[in-house]
Amino acid sequence: MNTLTYILRRLVLTVPLLIGITLIAFAIARAVPGDPVTANLGQKAMSDPKIVAAFRAEWGLDKPAYEQYVIYVTKLLQGDLGRSIKSRRPVLDDLRAYLPATIELATASIVFGVISGVLFGVLSAVRRNSWLDQVVRFFSLIGVSVPVFWLALVLLFIFYARLRWAAGPGRLDAGLKPPTRLTGFFTLDALMTGNWTVFVNALRHLVLPAIVLGSYTTGLIARVTRSSMLEVLGQGYVRTAQAKGLRERTVVLRHALRNALIPVVTVIGFSYGGLLAGAVLTESIFAWPGIGQYAFRASTSLDFPAIMGVSLLIAFIFVVTNLIVDVLYFVLDPRLRSA
Amino acid sequence: MASVATTFELRAARPNRVAQAWRFLRANPVALVGLVLVVVWVLVSLFAPLLAPYGPLEQKVVQRLKPPSAAHWFGTDQLGRDVLARVLYGGRLSLPAGLAVVVLAGAIGTTIGAISGFAGGWLDEIMMRITEVFMAFPTIILAMAIASALGPSLVNAILAMVVVWWPSYARVVRGLVLSVKANDYVQAARALGVPEGRILWRTVLPNCLAPAVVVATIDLGNAVLVFAGLSFLGLGPDPATPEWGRMIADGIEFFDQWWMSAFPGLAIFTVVMAFNFVGDSIRDALDPQLRNNVQ
Repeated sequence: MNTLTYILRRLVLTVPLLIGITLIAFAIARAVPGDPVTANLGQKAMSDPKIVAAFRAEWGLDKPAYEQYVIYVTKLLQGDLGRSIKSRRPVLDDLRAYLPATIELATASIVFGVISGVLFGVLSAVRRNSWLDQVVRFFSLIGVSVPVFWLALVLLFIFYARLRWAAGPGRLDAGLKPPTRLTGFFTLDALMTGNWTVFVNALRHLVLPAIVLGSYTTGLIARVTRSSMLEVLGQGYVRTAQAKGLRERTVVLRHALRNALIPVVTVIGFSYGGLLAGAVLTESIFAWPGIGQYAFRASTSLDFPAIMGVSLLIAFIFVVTNLIVDVLYFVLDPRLRSA
Repeated sequence: MASVATTFELRAARPNRVAQAWRFLRANPVALVGLVLVVVWVLVSLFAPLLAPYGPLEQKVVQRLKPPSAAHWFGTDQLGRDVLARVLYGGRLSLPAGLAVVVLAGAIGTTIGAISGFAGGWLDEIMMRITEVFMAFPTIILAMAIASALGPSLVNAILAMVVVWWPSYARVVRGLVLSVKANDYVQAARALGVPEGRILWRTVLPNCLAPAVVVATIDLGNAVLVFAGLSFLGLGPDPATPEWGRMIADGIEFFDQWWMSAFPGLAIFTVVMAFNFVGDSIRDALDPQLRNNVQ
C-alpha cells in the first residue's frame, strides 16, 4: 500500500514539472526573433501576404500568446500534442513512428554500458592501485571525454569502411525490408517473426551506434562501480566472508558486488533519460531514424509543437525511469523494506 | 573582522599550499598530465598565429584534399586549407567559448542559488521549482531549440548553452549557502546588526566560492564538448570559421580523407580529457570518504 501511494504521489508531482516545460518552450517560441513562418515557407510564398496570413491562421500563430498557450494545454490534457508544422502530421503519430528506433538504440547502449562498466569497475576496485586500476581509470575518463560524433566517425571508418565487420549507417541494409511491426524494435520484431537474415543485419547495424552512445555511460558506470565497490570491500561482512575462507570470486561477486550495485542502479536510471536526449548526435551520424533526428529537424525548422512533444516525452520518460529506480531500491535493499 | 582574519590566514598558508599542490601533482600522474595538456592548449591557442604554418582561411584549390605531408602535417581540406592551421586556431574559439559558458552560467546560477538558499521560505520554493523545470528539460534539445531560434552563430550557441547550464550551479550553490548559513560567524554578523544583503554577499557567499570554482573547473571540459556538438550540428559559428566541431561535420562528406575530421576530433578529445583529468583528480582529493578508503 505504502509503495503504491508513493508511486502515485510521485506521478502527480510530475504534472507541474511537465506544465513548466510547456511554459519554457512557449516562452522561447515567443521571446526569440526566429519565426516559424520564415523557417517553413519558401521565399516565394513569403512574398505573398495571403499565404503568410493563411499559414499563421492554420497554425494559430495569429492569436495572442496566452491564447495559444491555453489552447495547447487544453488539447494536451486531452492527450493531443498538436500537429507538427514540418511533417503536417499529429506529433503523437510522429513520436510513435520515431520513438522505437531510439528506445532500441538507447537500450542496447545501456546494456553495453552496464555490462562493460560494471566489469571494469569491479576489476579496478578489486585490484586497487594496480596498473589495471590505472588503465581502467584512464579509459573511463576517455569514455566521458571523447566527442561522440567523432568516435562515431572513427569507428565507422575502422569497422565499416576498412574492416567491413560492422554494417554502415541506417537500421538495415538498403535492400532489406523491415520486419513486420510488432514492437517497432527491428531486432525483436525480426526474432519474433523468425526472420533470421533481418535479425542478424539489424544487429550488425545496431552495434556501432550502441557502443558510441554507450561510451559515456560505460565510463560513468565504471567510475561509480569502482568507488562503490571500494566502500563495500571495506565493510565488516566482507572481511568476515574472507576470514571464513570463501573463495575470492564468491566474496567479490556474492557479498560485495550485490551490495555495491545499489548506487549503480541510480546512475543507470538517470543515464537512460540522458541517452534518449543525447542520441541526437549519434543518430545524425548513423542516419538512425529516431526522435533525436526528429528533434533536430524540429528545432532547425522552429517546429514548436514537435519540439514541445519530444521534450515532454523525454522528460516524462526521465521521471518514470527515476521512479522505477526508486522502487527498485525496495527490491534490492531489504533494509529499506523493513524500515 | 572575519575577512581580515581570513586574508591573514590565506597569506600565511600560501607557501604551504604551493608545496601541497606540488605534492598532490606528484602523487597524481593523471592530474599532472591533465594540467600539462591544459597549459599546452592555452599556449597553443594564444600563439596560434605564430605557430600556424598557413592562415586558417588561406585557400589553395590545387592543394585540396591532400593527405598529411611535410608541407601540410595534417593534410588539407576540400578548399585546400591547411588542417593543422585550422586546428591550432580552433582553440581560440572553443576554449573561450567553454569558459564563457561556465563563467556566465556560474554567475547566474550562483546568484539564483545564493538568494534562494539564503532567503529560504516561499522564495526558495519558487526558485527551486523553476530550476527543476529547467533541469528536467532535455539539455541538448533545449539548447538546439534556442540556438536555432536565435539563428546559428557563436554568441547564440553560447547563450543557448548558458540557458541550459545555470541550473546545476544554482543547486550546488544553494546547498553550500544552506550549510554556510548555519555557522556561528553568520549569527555573529547578524547580532552585530549587519544588514541581511551584506551578510549574504560579504560573509556567506565568499565562503561558498571555492567549492563552486572547483565545480566549474570540472565542468569546463564538458562545456567545450557540448559547444563542439552544437557547432557540429551547424548551430555554432558560420561554416568558414576554423571551429573543431564544424570541421568534423565538413569531414563527414569526405569520409576517405580521414585527416579532415581525425585531427580536429583529437583536438576536442585532448582538451576535454585534460580538463577531466584535472577535475577528476581534484574531486578525488576533495572527497573525504573516498580518500579515507583509499588510504
